[in-house]
Amino acid sequence: MALDMTKYRAVFLEDATEHLADMSRALLDLEKDTEHADAIDVLFRMAHSIKGMAASLEYDSIAEVSHVLEDRMQEIRSAGGVDGTEGLTLVFKGMEGLEAMIEVVRQTGESPPPNPDLVNALATPIAPAECQKKKS
Amino acid sequence: MARILVADDAAFMRQMIREIVEAEGHEVVAEASDGVEAVDQFKAHHPDLVTMDIVMPRRSGIDAVKGILEIDSTACVVMCSALGQETLVTEALQAGARDFIVKPFKPDSVVKTVNKVLEKESQ
Repeated sequence: MALDMTKYRAVFLEDATEHLADMSRALLDLEKDTEHADAIDVLFRMAHSIKGMAASLEYDSIAEVSHVLEDRMQEIRSAGGVDGTEGLTLVFKGMEGLEAMIEVVRQTGESPPPNPDLVNALATPIAPAECQKKKS
Repeated sequence: MARILVADDAAFMRQMIREIVEAEGHEVVAEASDGVEAVDQFKAHHPDLVTMDIVMPRRSGIDAVKGILEIDSTACVVMCSALGQETLVTEALQAGARDFIVKPFKPDSVVKTVNKVLEKESQ
């Protein structure tokens, strides 16, 4: 059987918008407390969820950014927290990038162009010193 | 025809699985958007099969599998995973899940896995 994916675009936009709102609230919590475990978990889960939906609709660029953001959040979880300046800014940029891409889908119905700079930035491993600092 | 519970925190994914299994003649008796709700809905409906997302709030999919098997050790649970979650899938299978399907869902693959698990169960 083949699914009519056009009707899933509206569900994607609705779900993704809610996820971004959740991520935004979580980022505020993380700004106040850089080791906020629940906020880190929400950011991880929402990125994971957007990745799954985007991949289903073949919005590969969104799937790619959400995938590296999910991995980043996993690293931050393992490190026990995020660096309060650069690390947090990068997560914010990731969320902002997703927001912009999802807006392109809303406006055009098409897959947005890739954002290799953002993907590379998010895929850069967290410096061991930062992990150590967070674990100590 | 089987009675199925669909557990996933994304409405998008729940709707997609529902459409795929209903087209195959199965009935979705309930949906759950987190692990706690999945166990509660299992208790309430005793479905023939559960499709269970791994990453969910409140109680993870793996933990929910354990909860469901505590209620009914013969329960059929199929995990829904994403690429890169092989370790979690292995953990879920060790916990008692019967099989798994990988996102993004391919309808034929979902149908094949669901029917295979149901057929094995009926033997």
